[in-house]
Amino acid sequence: MPRIKIDHTKCTGCRHCETACSLNHVANTVNPRRSRVRVMRDGNRYYPVIAGPFVDAACTSKHYIVIGEQTYDMCAFCRASCPEKPYFIEAETGIPLKCDFCGIPPSPSCVRWCNSGALELVED
Amino acid sequence: MNGWIGRCLRINLTQGKHHIEEIDPKLLEKFLGGRGLGVKAFVDEVAPQVDPFSPENKLVFTSGPLVGTGAITGASCNVITKSALTGGLVCAKMRGHFGAELKFAGFDMLIIEGKAEIPVIISILDDKVKLIPALEYWGRTTVETEELFKKNLGDPWSARETYVASIGPAGERLLPLANLVNDRFLPVGGAGIGAVMGSKNLKAIAVRGRHSLQVADGNRFMQVVTTLINKLNSAPLTQSMSQTGTAFLVGLCYQKGILPQNNFRRAPLPLRNIGTEALNSGFALRSRGCFACPIACIKKADVKHPAYEGKGMAPTYLAIGSLGVNCGITDLATIGMASMMCGEMGLDPVAAGGALATIMELVEKKVITPEELKIDLRFGNGEAMVEALRLMATKKGYARRLGQGGQALAEEFGRPEIFMGVKNLPLAPFDPRAIQGMGLHFATCNYGPHHLYAYTFIDELLNVHENLEPTELEGKPLLVKRYQDTTAVMDSLGLCNWPLMGLKFNNYVPMVNSCLGTSYKADDLLFIGERIWNLEKGFNMRAGFDASHDTLPDRFTKEPIPDGPAEGQISRIEEMIPEYYHLRGWNEQGEPLPETLRAFDLEVG
Ligand code: SF4
Ligand code: SF4
Ligand code: SF4
Repeated sequence: MPRIKIDHTKCTGCRHCETACSLNHVANTVNPRRSRVRVMRDGNRYYPVIAGPFVDAACTSKHYIVIGEQTYDMCAFCRASCPEKPYFIEAETGIPLKCDFCGIPPSPSCVRWCNSGALELVED
Repeated sequence: MNGWIGRCLRINLTQGKHHIEEIDPKLLEKFLGGRGLGVKAFVDEVAPQVDPFSPENKLVFTSGPLVGTGAITGASCNVITKSALTGGLVCAKMRGHFGAELKFAGFDMLIIEGKAEIPVIISILDDKVKLIPALEYWGRTTVETEELFKKNLGDPWSARETYVASIGPAGERLLPLANLVNDRFLPVGGAGIGAVMGSKNLKAIAVRGRHSLQVADGNRFMQVVTTLINKLNSAPLTQSMSQTGTAFLVGLCYQKGILPQNNFRRAPLPLRNIGTEALNSGFALRSRGCFACPIACIKKADVKHPAYEGKGMAPTYLAIGSLGVNCGITDLATIGMASMMCGEMGLDPVAAGGALATIMELVEKKVITPEELKIDLRFGNGEAMVEALRLMATKKGYARRLGQGGQALAEEFGRPEIFMGVKNLPLAPFDPRAIQGMGLHFATCNYGPHHLYAYTFIDELLNVHENLEPTELEGKPLLVKRYQDTTAVMDSLGLCNWPLMGLKFNNYVPMVNSCLGTSYKADDLLFIGERIWNLEKGFNMRAGFDASHDTLPDRFTKEPIPDGPAEGQISRIEEMIPEYYHLRGWNEQGEPLPETLRAFDLEVG
């Protein structure tokens, strides 16, 4: 099954993936806030996050993640379109956004426009 | 509208009021947007004689129609005002994400006028515009300002989506060398803007937006953008840009004798310390890209380098040239420190580097002693240079006077010939004797001698589209004109110009048309570029620039390069200028002829 592999060490924070996803889902429209992939930033690092469904269980306990010497709030990397954060919710309609693995084969739109190698299509 | 939004936000700081205006579609057709539209608005509203520090001077921020749409490198926001350094127009290119966010907030253009009573920050969230008192921010560095502003928002989610452009202590103290800073980047060619912001008591502008942009033909647009990304990937030079940023130019310029040393007097010291190998072995580089940029030429050196503590930028070509070799410094870590200092203080690296090189030569010629300066500024003394940058922005006395710029310093000591600049702006680090076309551009550019307003080196040095010799004159006036116009039109569309190293200008046309729903040909766009160049020229003429300003310091036209690969060369701009004026449709005094202005549908007189 093909999957998208995310390598945050390569991400440049250019947000071209966001524009690609939004153009591909809403005709002739660009709006990163309607994209199903968002690039989170924490200090010097960028973390592309691809939206998935929200389930209560995912969120019953708050987590912190330690990477290197920094501690991060897990919400920053969580892919759930949850009601607690303004990401992955269609602003106008309130509909939760989820990645539908779109695009013309062989690559989904976000992968096609990501030039750094941070998003990659892999088979496993 | 497609690409464009058609709205302008006007903020009057004196009255503390703002309102939203519709932009006349005819203007968009004629000037595209970005630099063209911004210059047009500025020229129409501000008298050429106005004092840069007077409340009558205005600040215009414009994002071109392609910004934010996903068009490759559609990230550029132009900042236009009357410069505190040159006294002419300044049009900085601010990249990063600010420009796109301004579009998402629903504006093509932001005009700031008047002067606030107390320091303020402008906060824009879609149509909600607020002036926030900024006393607690005043005196802080640009990095601290951004951090504090985001912290004060109180919500990490909105902080993540907010982009801030601010001035540092240099701008607050009205130093003509001051620039503004966005996310540690200094906009290209923005010397003199920071001081204008400071004079308006404007510490920062923060913007966040949630609107959508429309493109005309999304499917075609997506195809074209994908093709362009692939094209860029097969171009060797853009690959070099992706790997080491503009620093890859250092080696090439060194080999041709173009990289200046010690205030443009000798060919540089050994390359091994400053070339890309040194960069790669000394720093672990991480790339950062401006909005929608597949190249990502900005290099962060976020390793545990003692000089950086994990937050610095790796030096760019400009930093290595202006703050490094031209001040006799060939240690990359020191150069990186110096450019970091510029970013925090809000000092323009080209302008500040030029001022330091001037004072260093004055010291060498014993016109002034280090004791008088109270700091040991000599060629090659990196520590003193970094310290001088800090003192320049924060202290009084001589250090403060350094911040007035190289021209003012050289004149103060009765040695104006020592300042290596044109129209008060120091030369970007290209020795015009070794690269003739760039020399012609330096002499004639509306914005002073900056290489990023005409990328002639792409053909003169790198031979990407044409095979030209840097030291020959043949074809150079046309090359300079073409690159000046190309840059003007790309700035107006909102595109970064670096991809020209892998793409022809023609390659962009389908992207422009599918995005905007227009049917431009390349020549139509270049025609608009030329119109913009003439418009800018007209304003500068009325502001007091004439043919006598279209020149280079005598060092370049009279003293041959003493050694190195370009030994014996001098700049022969006198031979090229008449042809250049002729190609532009200007008279011998470099003034646009009435028929030229009429052809471009510009006001005559
Ligand atoms: S695969 Fe498609 S839907 Fe999913 S994030 Fe990428 S572009 Fe968006
Ligand atoms: S397109 Fe790729 S490099 Fe750019 S922000 Fe998205 S994931 Fe990162
Ligand atoms: S090439 Fe460099 S400056 Fe230009 S848009 Fe890309 S990252 Fe920014």
